[in-house]
Order: sequence, then structure tokens, then C-alpha cells
Amino acid sequence: MDHTRRVYNDVFEMLPGPENPSPLVRINAMSVPGATLYAKLEWMNPFGSVKDRAAWAMIRELERDGRLTQERGIVEPTSGNTGLSLAAMASARGYRSRMVVPNKVPLEKKVLLKIAGADLDVINDNLCPSPGMGDGSIGLAKTHARAQPDKYAMPNQYENEANARAHMETTGPELWRQSDGKISHLFVSLGTCGTATGCARFFRERNPDVKVVAVQPSEGHDVPGLRNKSELHVSALFDESLLDEVMEIEHELAYTRALDLSRREGLLAGPSSGLIYEGARRYAERDPGAVPFGVMIFCDNIFKYVSNMIKHMPELAEGTTA
Amino acid sequence: MADYANPKVLVTTDWVQEHLNDPKIRLVEVDVDTKAFDAGHIPGAVGFNWQTQLQDQLRRDIITKDNFEKLIGSAGIKRDDTVVLYGDNNNWFAAYAFWLFKIYTHEDVRLMNGGRAKWLAEEQRPLTVEATKVTPVEYKVDQVNTDLRAQVGEVLEGIRSGVKLIDVRSPDEFSGKVIAPPGMNETAQRGGHIPSAASVPWATAVNQDGTFKSADELREIYFKKAGVQPDKPVIAYCRIGERSSHSWFVLKYLLGVEQVKNYDGSWTEYGNLVGVPIER
Repeated sequence: MDHTRRVYNDVFEMLPGPENPSPLVRINAMSVPGATLYAKLEWMNPFGSVKDRAAWAMIRELERDGRLTQERGIVEPTSGNTGLSLAAMASARGYRSRMVVPNKVPLEKKVLLKIAGADLDVINDNLCPSPGMGDGSIGLAKTHARAQPDKYAMPNQYENEANARAHMETTGPELWRQSDGKISHLFVSLGTCGTATGCARFFRERNPDVKVVAVQPSEGHDVPGLRNKSELHVSALFDESLLDEVMEIEHELAYTRALDLSRREGLLAGPSSGLIYEGARRYAERDPGAVPFGVMIFCDNIFKYVSNMIKHMPELAEGTTA
Repeated sequence: MADYANPKVLVTTDWVQEHLNDPKIRLVEVDVDTKAFDAGHIPGAVGFNWQTQLQDQLRRDIITKDNFEKLIGSAGIKRDDTVVLYGDNNNWFAAYAFWLFKIYTHEDVRLMNGGRAKWLAEEQRPLTVEATKVTPVEYKVDQVNTDLRAQVGEVLEGIRSGVKLIDVRSPDEFSGKVIAPPGMNETAQRGGHIPSAASVPWATAVNQDGTFKSADELREIYFKKAGVQPDKPVIAYCRIGERSSHSWFVLKYLLGVEQVKNYDGSWTEYGNLVGVPIER
């Protein structure tokens, strides 16, 4: 494939990898004195988010195992991005898909899943704090897969090693090449923990001095896709021993910083990117000079979060009607 | 280690699997998310919808005796069958249905410990979308036990006479920070709690896997910390009466508190009343 001309035979050839990395863009107006921070723009992937990587790896694995057929499609719990990648990929390859999303996921994502061809189940998660309730969307997706195994295979991004492996084989090597081996810090968020665990495994092998810092929202957040540590029991890929630090950021800042990134950097980044930026900024300010080459994984862009942005900043809706 | 006061009312997922083909054991699933049953249920189970089948559709009330008889008869459940209830959200509405079965004095009712989540977490447990074939029977309720239910007059009297009130909602609902969990339709005009109520969130009674804590742990929580006296009257309440059914079950059957009632009007009734005292 010739990535310089960017002419492809199908959309799958556009998927990221060491030969076709997602862009790294340096932070300027919002930079921290003494530190250099880069954003890795995962929304430049063909289906619009970092989840293209895990989704592709999981679909390929299911295909290799013969578990996807014209009759048997995919069911998956998702906050939207994995579902969107999976649904679009499945549709293009002739498989049906069914996505189970928590109600708090913004309307844009729910509609996008339908646009991409998925059947949608929306469920009310987090009704009342409970130790044993598990996660409703994961439960319903598992129910579909177990009750109708001839109709659905469940990739299960929360437990599927292919998720972490995708980052070990693509995100990690991309960063190593893009930084000429100079990367000093990686700032990631936690959800399925595929990015954190996969990248950390890669760097532990390649250069254990690279610090992997996870940034999580405070409890009670509404940042789709992210999990506070109290919600991470469902993520079998979470391995705290691979992380150098886990920072907690007040969750409202996810949306504030996302707006700042749009207005000051021209980076139309989503709320998880806003949160990661805030974590990286605090980390770099804490110890000036300690972050010579920091990279933040910017998972997706702001387009899917317009309704959430309005919820947090009602003034954005002012003056939008004649 | 002490055992539960009535260990027979709890069955394990293993026990349920062993009795899947036992015609005297009737499985009933009741969920918060009414889509869950259709997506897949334990083979042989029937599903009840808490909104449309367990409540009166005209006035705010539990279903009448007549409608209960029709519902249970149409599910092919006989008066002497063993009914095993399970559901999502740690058996919230399964416990509510358990309470209803007991109001209508069905003798042998049990809960599957851990509910739907535990069944699902155990890889080898079967689920199906096939509708269970039932033969309708005539089901007759010979007696109604209203002692299990507290109504608002009794609650107001209870505040004065020192009946132990247990608020099982989340701490944020108890303090009035929120009126209802996010996304819930049923709400109230005011936030807070009934004066003198002790906050014992329902979830303090369960383990990480959704099963109930041991009798010793439950005694510690309800008797020592919350000050429940086993021989004195207790009223449990929540928002619409399902989470409090769960705590009512714990108090009555696992801890053997005789005089415990579920106030199913709960906060959506009390928090809408005019002129009653509220604490925050």
C-alpha cells in the first residue's frame, strides 16, 4: 500500500499501523513551560476513534476462528466508539451487528450506531450504587450471545486480549517511530484499558523508562467510554502494575478542556481528550522539565458530544435558532 | 457462624440448574429492565413485567387479589408449587415479587441468590429466548397478609411512636442531593428522608458477586450499626418499594425480624405529601 498517495482499495486499508500512523500534533497555545506535549489524533482513523484498532483486531480474530458468518453477527456492549467501528466494519463485511449502550451515551452516538447499520439496545445503567450489579450493558450483550449463539458472537472488548494486542502491535510501535524513540511519557485514559495495557506492554519491552500515566475522571462522571477505578472491575485488561501513575481529575474539566482545545489549539477534541490533557498538564507542571516528549492519546473528536457539551455549557445553544 | 433465620428461602444457582426439569419448581424472572427477559432467560422461566403486571394499572397500588390469581394462574403456577424468583439489579424486583407472593400467602417462595448477574457470570449456565410453554391453571388465594405492608398512615404514626424506619436508598437520595437515581421517571416534589430514619443502603447487604452477605455480617449491619431490634417493629422504604423489598427480605427471612414491613409508597409518596416533616 502506498500511504503517501492515500489511494486505497477499500476503507480497511486506511486503518492505522506503523506504516500509516495516526498523526501526532504538538500542543502550542496550551503548552506547559519546560514540557513538550503531543496529541495523537485518533479521530483521524477511518471510523473516527481509537477504537478502530481494537475493533479491527477483534473482528479479524473472530473471522480467523470462523465465528462470523452470514448468519452469525456481532453483539457488543459499547459506549459508542467500539460499537461504531464494529458496526461499520461488520456492515461493510456483510455481518449483522447489535450494540448495547447505556442510556447516558449521547444521542449522537446512538444515532450513529444506527446509521452504521447496528440494531440498538439502550439500557439504564447505574440506577443505584451497587457492588454486585455488574454492568448492565455488558450483562445484556452477554445474554444475547449466550441465548442466541447461532445469531451472535460477542467480541467482548473488556476481556478480549486482542484489544490490548492491537495497541501493542500498532499504537506502541507507531509512537516509537514517530518520536524516533524519544517518547518519555504516555498519557492515556482508562475504559476497557486496552490502550493503557497494550501500549504499556510494548514500552516495558522496548524502553521501560517510558512512563505510562493513566488519567481517570472523578466518580459520578458522564464521560462516555471512561471508567473511574471504582468502575474498573469489569475490565479484565486493567493491570495497574503496568502503570506508573493513575491521576484523578475532576470530571467536569473533561468538557471545559475539550472546549479550550477546540478554541485555542484548533484541535476539535472530545471530552476524554480534554481530561487527558488536564492530567498531562498537571503532571508536567508538577515537575518542570520532567516531560521532554509526552504523548496524549486523543481518543475521538467533539462531533459526537454536541448534546453533552450543551448539557455542561448551556450557553453553547444560545443563538442557534433564528 | 450463625445461619440465616430461614435458609430455605434462598437457593443457589447450582440448585436451580439441578432443578431445571423439576415440574414442581417454577422459575419466575422479574427485572428492572423489562427487555432483559426477552433477550434471554433461564430455560423454563416465565417473566413478569413489574410495571404492567405486578401493579394495578388504574390506581397506584399492588395488583389486586383477583388480578394476582389471574396472573399466576395464567403462568401455570399452582398454589403448592415452589416458586423461585430471580432478576436483574441484584433481584430488586424479584424481591418485590417475593413480597407480593407472600402478601397473597403463597407458601413456598424462594429467591435465587445472586440473581441474573450471577447466573450470567457463570459460563456454563444456559439461557434461551424460547418462550416457556405453560398450561394455565386455576389459582386461588385463600388469605391475604396485609401485615407485610406499611401504608402512609402507619409510617406517620411510626415516626411518633418510634418505629424503626430504614431508608435503603443511596446516600445521595437520603441526603436529598438527588430525588431519584439518574434516568428514573418516578420522582417526588421534595428530596430528603423521613424523620428518624436510619440510612442503610440496600447494597450494604450484598457481596461483590451479588449474593447476600453472611448472617453474621448482616447482624452486624442491621442490629449493631443501624440499631434494628429483632423483636420490635421495623419499616423499610426506598423510592417505589422495590429496593426496600430487598432489604425487607433480608430483615424478615435472613435475620428473622418478625415485625418488618415494606412501605411500598416510599419516597414517591412521602416526598409528595403536603405538610409532612422531612429531614435532610
